[in-house]
Amino acid sequence: MFKKTLLTLAITGSAVLVMGAKAPEDILDALARKTNNAPYLVQSPQNRMMMPDNPAYDVAEEGAILFKTPRGPKNVSMEKCDFGKGPGVLEGAYVELPRYFADAGKVMDLDSRLAYCMKTLQGFTDNDPAVKVKHGSGSDVMKLQTYIAAKSNGMPWNPPLNHPLEKAMRDAGEVMFYRRSGIMDFGCVTCHTKEGARIRASVLPNVYKPDEWTKAISWPAYRISQENVRSSQHRLIECLWQMRYPNMKNGSDASIALISFWTDAARGAPAILPDLKR
Amino acid sequence: MLKKTSIAAAVAAASALILIAGGCAATSTGKAETAKPAQDTAKPAPDTAKPKAVDYTAMTPTALAEYLIFESGSYDLNQPTQEGTNGRARLTQDEIQKACTLKKSEELSDKAREKVMALAAASIRYPEGGIKLGDWKKGRQLAWSGFGFRTAHNPDKHGPGEAGGNCYNCHQLATDRTGGTIGPSLTDYGKIRGSSPEMLKYTYDIIYNANATFPCTNMPRNGANGILNDAQIADIMAYLFDPESPVNKH
Repeated sequence: MFKKTLLTLAITGSAVLVMGAKAPEDILDALARKTNNAPYLVQSPQNRMMMPDNPAYDVAEEGAILFKTPRGPKNVSMEKCDFGKGPGVLEGAYVELPRYFADAGKVMDLDSRLAYCMKTLQGFTDNDPAVKVKHGSGSDVMKLQTYIAAKSNGMPWNPPLNHPLEKAMRDAGEVMFYRRSGIMDFGCVTCHTKEGARIRASVLPNVYKPDEWTKAISWPAYRISQENVRSSQHRLIECLWQMRYPNMKNGSDASIALISFWTDAARGAPAILPDLKR
Repeated sequence: MLKKTSIAAAVAAASALILIAGGCAATSTGKAETAKPAQDTAKPAPDTAKPKAVDYTAMTPTALAEYLIFESGSYDLNQPTQEGTNGRARLTQDEIQKACTLKKSEELSDKAREKVMALAAASIRYPEGGIKLGDWKKGRQLAWSGFGFRTAHNPDKHGPGEAGGNCYNCHQLATDRTGGTIGPSLTDYGKIRGSSPEMLKYTYDIIYNANATFPCTNMPRNGANGILNDAQIADIMAYLFDPESPVNKH
């Protein structure tokens, strides 16, 4: 018994050492070396320099406090929330999202899972600012997301596809990725299937290269141009805006399908969390 | 006049779609009701308001994608657009968009290529009095501007600012500004090609509907979709061809 505990401790300890050893910028540097300096990864030396002082760390710290504090009408913390690896297990949970949750009966991303737990565990409603405000470094949602996601830093993206619904959502997301529509005929495919292509000065990530695509989907990231930490859901609506598409509901099934596909496209490549982007 | 016609066509198309959607809903309700015994009609309204349980895993990926886009409440389908249509119209594919939706390593068939080129060629209208060059300075502003027609969470208001041509998003033009690389570089466009009537027509056609020349191109159908009007196209053409334009002077 004692021996077993010791062994577990040792294994956990070394795992923390191995993973904890790499800061997000180290992971980015390693990917840059591996890809022979893929233009998307190395486009901004300034942003790379700022990564050790990423303002997202403060947001994550606030998230840690929020996570552990009893809150909401039921006055409980989020420590009982199951993000897919058991109640309260955060290490590696985010790189295995979106996934199917039997309690909710649907595939959820981090954004929607957070809202689910805040409502079911803590008793918040959709109209409470804690759940309703989805964007901005000052929002509870972004503080919690940044904290939880950072617990997957350096781990390979590995969204499960065993449940038929996970597979169905990922496959529908793939169809949507290639689907062209709107007044300008755009689809995700227009910008994200070439290596090193640019819109004006911005190098675009290529969905076919997991080692560069991982940076594209590593959200939350602090966006220098917006002075806020942003989520995957936020990235999505900004893309849709540029594509001249109508607005999409946060956590909607279409958004989960797209995020399921884009996460699967980065499978095996290490997450950079929190990231810092233009 | 031309623009008005295309808006009317788009509105008609959008209302046709709403009719189709309505028709489908009516059919499925009808089915559910015919399955019930006749005496049910006397009882209070059956629970048609209850959302039907939809099995995502029973659908093909394409059917599920269409369901997610149009039936799942994911998009704001009623969001107004600057051209007077709505979100549903923006998400509904026309023939060219359907033919040009190609999955990874899927190639355009010869038949589809001919169809896209024919549809695109038929869409091109020429200005009364022929293709002329406008003001390259205005064209320069239009080529740089990426404003216009964006909706989602922050719709562009076309009143105060006119929609731009988005050219620099994808093309390098004059070298004093950084252009994208999704499309080819157009630096020295007029200097290299001259400005014969044939070259003007070739360029006008590409700006108006590039699918007639390059089927399933990434380039928006600026004329055919009413993104740019005749005067704006003339100004952008001047930016490309005028010897005084920075595109041809560097």
